[in-house]
Formats: sequence, C-alpha cells, structure tokens
Amino acid sequence: MEEKPFKATAKSLSPHDSSKSGSKGDIRNLWTRATLSQPRLNIQLTDVYEDLDPEDSGEDWKAGQWYKQPSSDGGAREGWSQRNAEAGTRQEELDAYTSEELEQSPRSAQRGDVKGLEDLGSKMDFASSVSSVNIMKHTHHRAYWREQQSRMPLPLLELMENEALEILTKALRTYQSEIGRDHFLTKQLQRYIEGLRKRRNRRLHVSAH
Amino acid sequence: MKLRTGSFLWCLYLDKLYCLLSVRNVRALVEYFRLLDAHRSRTLNDVLFYHFLHHVTNWTRRQIMNVFNMLDWEAVGEIGFDQFYMLVCIVLAHENHLEEQFIFRHSRPVFELLDLDGEMRIGAESFQKYDFLFNIKKHDLREFYRDFDITGDCHLNYKEFKLFTISTMDKYQEKQKEENENEEKKSLLSESTA
Repeated sequence: MEEKPFKATAKSLSPHDSSKSGSKGDIRNLWTRATLSQPRLNIQLTDVYEDLDPEDSGEDWKAGQWYKQPSSDGGAREGWSQRNAEAGTRQEELDAYTSEELEQSPRSAQRGDVKGLEDLGSKMDFASSVSSVNIMKHTHHRAYWREQQSRMPLPLLELMENEALEILTKALRTYQSEIGRDHFLTKQLQRYIEGLRKRRNRRLHVSAH
Repeated sequence: MKLRTGSFLWCLYLDKLYCLLSVRNVRALVEYFRLLDAHRSRTLNDVLFYHFLHHVTNWTRRQIMNVFNMLDWEAVGEIGFDQFYMLVCIVLAHENHLEEQFIFRHSRPVFELLDLDGEMRIGAESFQKYDFLFNIKKHDLREFYRDFDITGDCHLNYKEFKLFTISTMDKYQEKQKEENENEEKKSLLSESTA
C-alpha cells in the first residue's frame, strides 16, 4: 500500500511534545500566586469547574453541574433545587452545608471543612462522597485541581507502568534467548527496565511517605 | 477475543457513535505507548508487539503475527503510534461488540488493511484470515457475494465493500431493535405477572 490508510487523530500528540512544559509553567504560576493556608472562597464556583471535562466520571460531572450557578446563595439554592429529583433530599442538605461554608471566614473554612465532611458522611451515602470531593475542590487549592485536569491520574499511571514492566520483562527473556544477552538491544532493554523499576519504586516510596 | 480484566486497555472505551477514542483516552494511550517504546524509536518491534498483545488478549501467536503483518503496512518490521492507535480501536470495538459499527464508520481504513497485496480488492481469504478481528461471518459474506458482487470476480472492490458494510450495519440495527423489543415485552410480562 502506498498511502497510510488511517491517520490517527493523536498523530499530533507526539510523545516528546514540548507543549507540556508550557502548560506546567502556567500551573507553576498558579502555585506561586496562591497560598494553601488561605483558600480564596470568594472565587466563582463556576471557575473551578470551567475546565471540567464532561467525559470525566459521571458523578463528578453531575456535581460540576450543581456548581455551575451564580455564586450568590440565592442563585446557588435555586440552581440546586433544579437538580434531578433522585438526589433531591441530599441536595437540600448539601445546599445547607455549602452555604454555611461560604459564609465562614477563610481560616475557619479548613477546620470546618473536616467537620462538615464528617457530618455529611453520616447523613448521605453515595452523594456524600461526591459532594465532599466537590466541596474540597471549592475550598482547597485551585491550582491543585487545575493540575489534576492535565495530569495522568496516578492510579492509571501506576497501572500502566506495572503492565509495561511485565510486558517488557517477558520481551527481555525473548531477546536473551533469541539474540543473546550481549546484543546491544538486549542491554538497552535491560537498562530501560531497570530505569522504569527505579522510577516506579521511587514514586511508591514517595507516596508511602 | 477477551481483553485481560484490569489491564490498561480494559479501562479504555470507544465512543459508540464514531468508534474512536476520546482525546483523554488517546493521551493516556500515548503515555502507554511511550512506556512500551523501550528503544526510544517511537515504534514497537515485532517482539515487543507480540508480548504486548499476548499479555492483554488471548490471541494465539499466529493471530498476533497476522495482525502485526497487517498493521506493518510499510513493511518496516515496526509499528508506529498510528498503527497502534488503529489496533487499539479495533480491539476495543471487538471487545464491546461494535465490529459492524466500526467497519461501517471506518470502511476505508479497514478495506486498506484487508487489502494485503494492494490490489484494491479483497478476496474471501483475507476475510477468513482476519475473521477473529472483525467478526465477519462466512455466511454473511456468501450472501453478500451472491447479492452484491457486481463485478462478478469473487473479490470486493471498495464500493462493493462499502455496500457490504452498509448491509451488515442494517442487519445489526434490525437485530438490536428486535432485541430491545423482546426485552420490553419480557419486562412488561414480568410486571403484569408480578
């Protein structure tokens, strides 16, 4: 065949695309401007969710829709009351909790945050996990959530690395038996696998501490 | 074919209408490909490719090497990301029983993949060789040859293949409609007896 039959839409997504460093620079700016100790409670809730991907987990997207309302309490209440009937009761409880949060001072917000989450946990089951994530998104660092949007989720990265290691280890055995241990491709693959293992162990070590 | 439960590909999904991955899924796939690209050549050679498919599917060695030969359309002995992406879409379509839809939506690329010798026509042997991939049934093909082989040479050119994908899609949709109707009837019956 003379021509490639299928140009993947990801062709432009080169593994060595340098645009990643540009986006990291933006996130670094966010990190340096804001401080964790004083979350900006007066930011529009809509801003927190402006980048939320509808393809993201269903619960998060529904939660995002809850927050795509004007930041005033009345508007927020109205918006929440328009949510689907399934979560109607839970919604009202969430409504009451979140409006209290908005009125609290920044310093007490984080202390109240934990208490509020505990209260929610006792009242709701499914929605509580969703609502608590989103309340934390609101009260915690915006830059953190921005970064989460553009990064690979850690559990997925771990899954990919573990799987790649298994596959490459088996491939190494084939290399060793077919082309010999001294072949440069075998050595290259061996070094690569060792590097990948070290990286994985370092990350596991960091996350454990 | 069954994907290994809990594997990375098992976590991906196709858009059911266009039978393609979302941008987010593609991004994840790019990272995965980079991890497998041990020699930093932006490609996978036949050994890496074999071990990858052997790990994530239950295909035999022969099936895997047939897939490799099909995707290595430049005959360089390596698979780049374009081909890898294509393979993942085909595997996911098969896993999720979307083969008819996939072939319908991407008839041109599938035709070119099956046209191994570049003659712009596909014989029955190509279909048989890759029936594990696209789930093209023999009796469907025989019926089609009987009804739509306009040129009468027992090979399908692209137009005939396109007609084949449309007719297969129609049959698939009718089957889906029948299944939905049967399910509705069953649920109505169970409600009325309860």
